[in-house]
Order: sequence, then C-alpha cells, then structure tokens
Amino acid sequence: MKSWALYGITRKLTEPFKKLEENTGKMDKIFRRSLNIYPIDVGNNGDLNFEMAALAAPQYNIHRFGIFFADSPRHADVLLVLGRCSEKMVGPLKETVNQLPKPFNIIIVEDGTDFGISARDLSLPNVIAYYDKKLEAGEILSVLLNITGDKK
Amino acid sequence: MIYTIIGLYILGSFTGFIGRKISYSMAIIASAFSFIAGFEAKFMGNTLSAVFSFLPNITVGINIDGLSGLFLMIAAISWTAVSIFSLDFGNHYRKRMAVFLNLSMLGMFLILTAYDALTFLSGWEIMTIASYFLITEHEGAYKEAFQFLAFGELSTIALILAFVGLNASDGSFVLIKADSNSVVFLVFASLAFIIKMGIVPFHTWLKEAHSKAPSNASALLSAPVTLMGVYGLARVINITGYTHVWGLLAIILGSVSAFWGAMEAAAAKGLKVLPAYSTVENNGMILAALGLSAVAYSFSTKSTLYEFAFLTAVVLSITHTIAKTLLFLSIGQAKEQLHAENIDNVRGIHKSVGKIPALGILISGLSFSAFPALLGYVAEWMLLESIFQSYQFSSILDRVVSLTGGVLLSLAMGFASFSMIKLIGYSALGYHHEKKAEPMPTFFMNVAELFLIAMIFGISFFASDLFLGLGYSKFVIGALGIPQGWLLASAEPVFGVISPAFFVLVITALSVVPFLIYFRSKLTTKKVASWNGGLALKEEEYFTANAFSFTIEHILRFVYMTKERTNKNRSYVAISDVFESFYKQIVTFIKKISYSVSRFVMNGKVYFYILYILIMFILIFVVFG
Amino acid sequence: MRLLGVLEKDSKELLILQDRNQLSLESIDNIKEKFANYTMLKNRDKHIGSKAVKGNGVFNFRYGPVTGGVGDAGVFNIYTYGERILSVDIDPGYKKRNIETLIKNTALHQAVNWSENVCSNFAFSHSCAFLRAVEKAGSFRSDEVTQRIRIIGIELERIYNHLYVISRLSKGASQNVLASHLEGLFEEALRTNKLFSNSRFLKHTNDLFIDKNNFKKLDEAALKTKNIKEKFEELYEHSLASWNFIDRLYKTAVLDQKKALEIGVTGPTLRAAGCREDLRVYEKFYDNFKIITKDKGDVLARMQVRAEEIMLSCDMVIDQIDKIKKMQQNNSKIDEPSISGFGMGYCESPSGLVLYFVNMNKGIVQDVYISTPSVFGFKAFADSFVGYIFTDFSFSFDSFGINFADCAR
Repeated sequence: MKSWALYGITRKLTEPFKKLEENTGKMDKIFRRSLNIYPIDVGNNGDLNFEMAALAAPQYNIHRFGIFFADSPRHADVLLVLGRCSEKMVGPLKETVNQLPKPFNIIIVEDGTDFGISARDLSLPNVIAYYDKKLEAGEILSVLLNITGDKK
Repeated sequence: MIYTIIGLYILGSFTGFIGRKISYSMAIIASAFSFIAGFEAKFMGNTLSAVFSFLPNITVGINIDGLSGLFLMIAAISWTAVSIFSLDFGNHYRKRMAVFLNLSMLGMFLILTAYDALTFLSGWEIMTIASYFLITEHEGAYKEAFQFLAFGELSTIALILAFVGLNASDGSFVLIKADSNSVVFLVFASLAFIIKMGIVPFHTWLKEAHSKAPSNASALLSAPVTLMGVYGLARVINITGYTHVWGLLAIILGSVSAFWGAMEAAAAKGLKVLPAYSTVENNGMILAALGLSAVAYSFSTKSTLYEFAFLTAVVLSITHTIAKTLLFLSIGQAKEQLHAENIDNVRGIHKSVGKIPALGILISGLSFSAFPALLGYVAEWMLLESIFQSYQFSSILDRVVSLTGGVLLSLAMGFASFSMIKLIGYSALGYHHEKKAEPMPTFFMNVAELFLIAMIFGISFFASDLFLGLGYSKFVIGALGIPQGWLLASAEPVFGVISPAFFVLVITALSVVPFLIYFRSKLTTKKVASWNGGLALKEEEYFTANAFSFTIEHILRFVYMTKERTNKNRSYVAISDVFESFYKQIVTFIKKISYSVSRFVMNGKVYFYILYILIMFILIFVVFG
Repeated sequence: MRLLGVLEKDSKELLILQDRNQLSLESIDNIKEKFANYTMLKNRDKHIGSKAVKGNGVFNFRYGPVTGGVGDAGVFNIYTYGERILSVDIDPGYKKRNIETLIKNTALHQAVNWSENVCSNFAFSHSCAFLRAVEKAGSFRSDEVTQRIRIIGIELERIYNHLYVISRLSKGASQNVLASHLEGLFEEALRTNKLFSNSRFLKHTNDLFIDKNNFKKLDEAALKTKNIKEKFEELYEHSLASWNFIDRLYKTAVLDQKKALEIGVTGPTLRAAGCREDLRVYEKFYDNFKIITKDKGDVLARMQVRAEEIMLSCDMVIDQIDKIKKMQQNNSKIDEPSISGFGMGYCESPSGLVLYFVNMNKGIVQDVYISTPSVFGFKAFADSFVGYIFTDFSFSFDSFGINFADCAR
C-alpha cells in the first residue's frame, strides 16, 4: 500500500491547455502570475457552481497559470458573478462588490435562463467580461487567461 | 507628619457628613502626604516615629521604617488615584461612602505604620469594618459584604493568635526590629495575611465582594487591601527570618492560587468578576515569589536568587496595585455609565464612554498580559527569571516544588493573557452597539486614570532607577551596547537581562521609518463594514464573550465543572468554582446545625433557660473555683 | 407512508403521499395519520430547521448567503454559545426563482426545459420525474428504448453527483491527494455526460420519446464509464485505509432511522440509516439492481452508500448501453396536444426522491408541484448537526448531497 503522497506523484492528470481567444477587456499585467478569483452564486441553476468545482480539477490545473480561488472577496482580484440575480441576492452582491480591494474587475457569466435580474443591469463597476450564455470550465479558464493578457 | 496624615484622614471622615468633595479632597491630600512619608522613610532613611508607653510593658505607636515606607508608597499611589476618582464617582452614592473611604485608608495607614501589634490590630479592624460598609454601599450587596466580613474576622482571629504567640516568645508586642522564632506566630500570621490576599482556597470572598462593591471600593479592596496581606507577610519574614518549609508551602499555595485565579478569570463573564480573579492570580504570584525567596535563602545566601525573588515580589506588588486600581477604576466608570454587569454588554467603551477609560482598560489589561514597555512585562519577566534560576537548588524536594510551581505560574500567565484579551477585546475595544452612556462629570475620573496610566509606563521605563533606589544596584548593569544603569539583570553573575527603557526607545526608533512610509504613500485605505457573508451584522449575530471562552471551558470541563444546560428553549453554559461549592456546603451544614441547636436551646420554655443558667453557673464554679 | 408535499388547491390542502412505489393525492381531511414533517413542508420556502435558541452568550453564527465554503446562495442561521451547535435554521429564500409559477401555461418542451433548470446537477432526474408525471396524466408509457436511455441518464447523473460529494468530503477532511483525484474523476464524469448527451449536465436530452439514433458516441461513453469505475475502486479502497480520513467522518452528524423516517428523507441518507428503500427496484428495466444499505447513519455510512452506488451505477450504465445497441426502436410518436389530466411521477435522483405533480390541459401545463430531495435533506442536516461543532460543518453538510437550487426551486 503506497502512501497518498506516493500515489499522488506517480500519476499525472494535468492536460495541456490551449486557450481560446475571447473578446474581453484586459486587466493590469501585474495579475499575470497571480490572479485570485472569488466566485459568487447569485441565484443560478447550479451548473455554473458545478463548473467552478470542475475548474478546480487537476485536468485544468489552474495553479500553473497562477490562478487561485480566494476565500473571501477581500482577497480577490476578480469577482466571478455566476448566474442571474435573484431578488434577495441583489443586496449581498452589491456588498460583495463593495468589499473588493482596488483594483478589481468583475466577470459576469449567466446561465442562459431567463429568471431573475441580469447582473449587467445592476450597473456594477469594472465589468471586464459579460456572457449571457453558460460557460464550461475550460471556457471560463480561457476567459481568465484572456483578461490577464497574452501569456504563453 | 504622621499626626497630619492621621488628622487629615479623621477630618476627612468627619467632613464626609458635610460634603463629599471636601472629604475626598482631604483623602487626596492625606494620601499624597503618606506617599511623601513613605518616600522619606525608604529613600532618605528618615524613620518617622511616634511611640509612647500605653501600659507598663506595652508601648504603642507609629513607626515608619524602610519596609513600611516602601509599602506605604505603593499603597498611597492607589489611595490617591481612588480619592481623585471618587470626586466624580462619589456623586452617585451616599455621603457615608466618603466617610468609610477615609476610614478604610486610615486603617491601612495604621497597619503599614504600626509599631506594635495593638496598633496593627486596630488598623486591621478599622480597615475591615470600613470596607464592609463600603461594600454595602452597593444596593443589595449585604450577602457579599457579610462574606467579606466573615473572612476578614477569620483573619483577625488568626492575627490575635499570632500576636499571642509573638508575645509568648519574646514578651512584647513590638513589631519593628522584633526577632522571634515563634512557630505559632509564623503560622497564624501567615494564615491571616494569606486570607487577606485571597489565596486559594480563601479566595471566594474576594470574587463576590469585589464584583459587587462600588467600583472605587473594588479598586481599594483589590489593590491596597490585599497589599496589606503582602506587607504583613514581608513583616513576618522580617521578624522570623526565612523558613525553608514556609517557603515551600508558599510556592505551592501561591502557584496553585495563581493558576486557579487565572483559569477562573479566563472563563469569567462578569465585568468585575474577571479582574477579581485576576487579583487572586497576582497575589498568588507574589506569594510564590516570596516563597521562592525563602527557599533560595535556605539553599544558599551566596546566590543572589533570594534577593532577586524578594525584589520580584515587590515589583509584582507595585504592578498589581497600580494596574489593578486602574483596571477597576476604568471598568467602574464604564459600568456606572452604561449600567451593565457583563463583559458582553459594554462593547465599544472607546466610543460609548470615552477614550480614556478604554485606554485604561487596554493598558492595565496589557500590563497584566505582560506586554512589553508596560510594568507587568518587567514583573513577569522577573518572576520567570526567578523560576529559571531554581535550577541551582540542590535538594530534590526544592527542585520538584519550584519546578511544578513554575509550570503552574507559566500556565497562569498564559491564562491571564487569554482573559485579558477577552476583557479588552469585548469591553474597551469591540464593536460599538449604539449604546448611550449616561452623561456624568468625568474630569476627575479621567485624571485618576491618566495618572495611573502614566505610572505604568513611567515606572517600567525607569525600572532600573527603581532597582537602584530600592538598594539592589547589583541587578542593574550595562552590557550589549546599553549604557551602564539601564539594563536589568536577574542575577549576579549575569543570568538574564532586559532593558524596558531601551526596548521602548528601539521600538519607537524602528517604527519611525515604516510610519513615515505609511504616511507618505499615496495608497489609500478602503474602509468598509466587516465582511459577513454579504449582509450587515445584526445585534444577535456578534460573537459573544461567553463563546470566546467556551472552548477552554469545554476542554477543562472537569476543572470548571462545566454543564451545558437547556431549559425551555434557553441554553447556557454553567461553570462553577469548586471551592465555592465547598463553602456553600459548609454554610448549609452550619445553618442546619445552628437551626437544630437553636430549636433545642432556645425553645421558649422558661424552665429550660433556668436550667441552662444553673448548669453554666456550676460549670464556671467548677472550672474557676 | 411518507408525506412528500402539501399542495394547495382551491383553498383546500391536498397531501402528496408515497407508499413504496404508490403515489397518492389525498385531501387532508381524509387522512387520520399525523405527519411530523407537515409544518416543515408547509414552510419549506421560508425556513427549514429548528427554532432560534436564546440564552446567555448564545448568538447566531450566520453562515451565508455569500461564502467561500458552501458557494451556494442561502443562509444558515447557526445558534451556538461557542463551539457547540444548538440549533440550525436555514433560509433558502435567497435562491428562490419561482419555477413552479414560471412553468405554468407553458408547452411541454418549454416545461421540460424549466424542470431541468430547477437544479442542474439533478437535471435529468427532474426531467424524468416531470415526464413520468406527464405520462401518467396522458395515461401512456414511453417505449423501452426511451426508458433504458433514461436509466443511463439517471445513473450517469448519480455517478458524477456521488463523485462530487465524496470529493467534497475528502477535501473537507484535508485529504488533498484523494480530493484532487476525485475532482479529476468528477471532470471525467462530466465529459462522459457530454459524450453521451452533448451536455455536461445531461440537459436537452430527455423527452417523452427519445430517438436512439441521436446518441452517436455510446461506445466511448461506456469505455469512459468503465475507466471511471476502475479508478474509483482503487481510490475508494485506498481511502478507507486512511485513519485520518475515516476518523473525521465516523460518528459525525448521525441521523438514525427513526428520525430519518420522521423527516421523510429519502435516497442515500435514508439507506445509510439502515432503511432498505430504493424505488428503482420497482422499475421494469433495471437489471441486476440491488439496494445498498449501511446502518450507522453517520457521514461515513452515507459516503459508503454513495461509493458503492457509484460502482453499481457504472456497471448498469455499461450494461444498458450494451442492451440499447442491440435493440430496435419503433418509430412511435406521441401527440402532445392530446395530453390532458393530472398525474404524478417520481424519480430516484442521486440524493433522494424527486416528485412532480402535473396538471395538463391539451399539452399545456396548468399546474405543477415539485417535491425535491434537498428540502428533506436540509431538514435532516439541520437536525443531525445539532450537538456537533462548527468544524464538522463541511462534512455534515456535504454528506447529504443537497443544494439550495434544488431546495428553493
């Protein structure tokens, strides 16, 4: 019986990743090697939450691109707004944006449904990318790589 | 001078019936004079004396020697602060409070300056009874006051026995320059003073009385009154010399007491219960330091440890007296203005009550947690250094006792920091809950607090001068780039060193650059409410002080006897001091016995009384006839 | 008999009851039995859990609606005087989307789409339950191929959901290597879903009649499923040997059988409490199915049930794919506008029973009531978490496999 550590290093799950070109705004170059993202669920149907979970999978290995999940909006550079906003989540979303340290940016990804309020209509500051369709984990990673500029 | 002081105190207590302000002003002046008298006696060598023959073979009077002078100075600082504080604080209480405040200080003055046992005893009783009345000034505090009185009288009885023992051994009641080997004196006098210091298991009165009494009285009871116990012990050592067994017992009792007090303080929820337990802890440390000094003396007089340990006890006493007075006064002001009893209900004192009382709690609390640059830091460093040096002891018993004591004392320091962080965090600092403080004149309260804060910083900064003044020039050196006279050493040859003054200087110098950069930088600070899941915090969502200490209450549940109870949708955690339950059982037992005895004896039948009188007559005739 | 929902119709209360695979709708006046979960079901949109506790030092340790830990919009009001949890009150309102109202007056296809959007990770179960209710309303049954494809969908959904739950548990217990590998498997499972149905969450696939020819990559899906099973078996065996891991899960958040039945919770949570109930046994085309139970009722038992179900589901998926390939499909079509009347349908989702009550009129949905497993799951979590400490939160919560999207609809 191998220890977990040995079990871990004898398998390679990471896959090469080829990013797609997305038409997004660009953040400061300083975030190229370290980008902390904080996803916030504002009332989506769940699949974006699960895509975020999938994004943490070793196949994508987002840490190699310097991307990390922040534990609190106070530590985040990018706020990922997932889904369309339910009525009760408008306040908490605005408070979360308020807590972000400057400079920050916001990415809005909706899930293609038509319940709730679009976060785009809430006039949030510094929105750098907006998608009205659901994105898969790989596509979200592409977006994140696009906003931090051209990295090989 | 002596007559002036006594006269002023007596005048003060009389004028108390006329006007509070005059009475408290008298107390301030008398306390200031006391300080001067003490200073002259200790540092100038002017022994003030007023002794006269009372009966043949019995001289009574007052005599201030070096030891008295030292303790008189310490106590006078606290008296002065309490008196200044009372100028404003006393407005809300009856005039008799001023009377008893003066009387209780007079009692303490007599204790500290007593030439003989009779003066000492009268001072002791004046202090006890005046303090009893001070406690009753708080509405509904009769039970607590009575408990205080019960323990107070217990110590008086022990004192009387001790003085009988003293008289039996050397035929006099004189305390100054006396020399006796009486075991009776040593045992009973120590017992009396230990009770007054609130050493475990005689600490239960302290918690009850201190938390219930008006805050100026709490400060008085907690700091100078328990200091009388310390002075008593110092005087006992002065008379009987160091005893090895006494030292061992003192280490055991002191360290257990320190540990127990700190541990109970960590779980305390009452605003004044916590500092009361902290008093138990501090007095435990003082006793342990004295014990260590005694053991070290018996081990070898060549080692400087016994002197250093004694000096430790003195510095601990100074620290405790000043910081505890400050703590009780600051908390008292907040408690009075906010009408709250629990730590949880006074959050944000810095906003609701004022910056100065909050600073007072902060500084005294940090001093008790041995924060550098404060007096408590010096004191606790000295205590730890003394413990470390017990490695020199050759006897296994000494080593085991001092080591175990050291472990308990170190744990006590840890617990003390925990409890003080809880107190500071939840009262002085913490989120302000829009609570409105009752407006009242606070000028003199703030003056008293600032005076004590300055003392805590000042004495720490000039600690080396204090050492020199007390005659311990061997513990003041210069090394490691620090000029001669600014470095404290814990032994000769050098064992450990600190320099509180240079610590402050270096930290100040080092923080200049970061602060300059901070103020120069263009980066701005974004100020937002605390993050709590995207919603504003509601009143019932704040982390409570009880919750802060629940973890240790749960881990040490066998010691605290922690019970988690739920009753009609109300849940709470109940902890109890095992000694309290012990005394409670004694009280119920005595009550039961006295009830049945009284039913038997005082049964309202005339012939029974006559029979009783007859039996007593016969007994007296038989015994004395 | 289990109460699954309280339906209000014409100011009369109707109870949705379930006894084995029999569903019934009864007026509240005709039922003598008292159900412990009645009040909870009536207030399921406002709060789930127990009342607030008061007392000295008790405060509300509110967790949510925006947290890094749960990542789902909802509020846990946790009452405590320190570490010990005294009571949990959950407010699912932050995710309320009123899908039951939105679904009204929509055509069948739109309605299926809505049901899939209640909760993406149970999308297939929801659409299945909805379509089965429609079938009941129209009194017809879909053909064998459709039913077998649905079984594949349901089991694929179970595989990825269970993998997700176990990866969360291992992450909560700081078993990072295990968690990473399970996350990898989870991503593989999502990719399998995409191979099978062209959607990572098995959406837009389910229908009254499913054409087998739409599924071009069945072989690849079967192969991937086989790989997942092999890898998972290895990981699972390995994980059970780790004392650190098991110790965190053992005897945590215990839910005994009596309590579980009282709450009305179904699925792995009920089976982990020792109850042999799985409605899949009543279905015709489930071959080689066996019910997996454990009896401790703690987090570990729930994890074991899920782990063993993953392996069973993998076998069933491979088996069903094999069978479908050999089958011929008749080109039957159902005339949607002809469907009228009401019906109820259920589906054994990864976390318990999803139930739909549907009232149809000429192919248009008139009325719908959705009973979701998360409502019961949240109550089970709130009750079982009392007495533990906050450190156990992540295991306790994740072990139920519930989420606010499913609960609040």
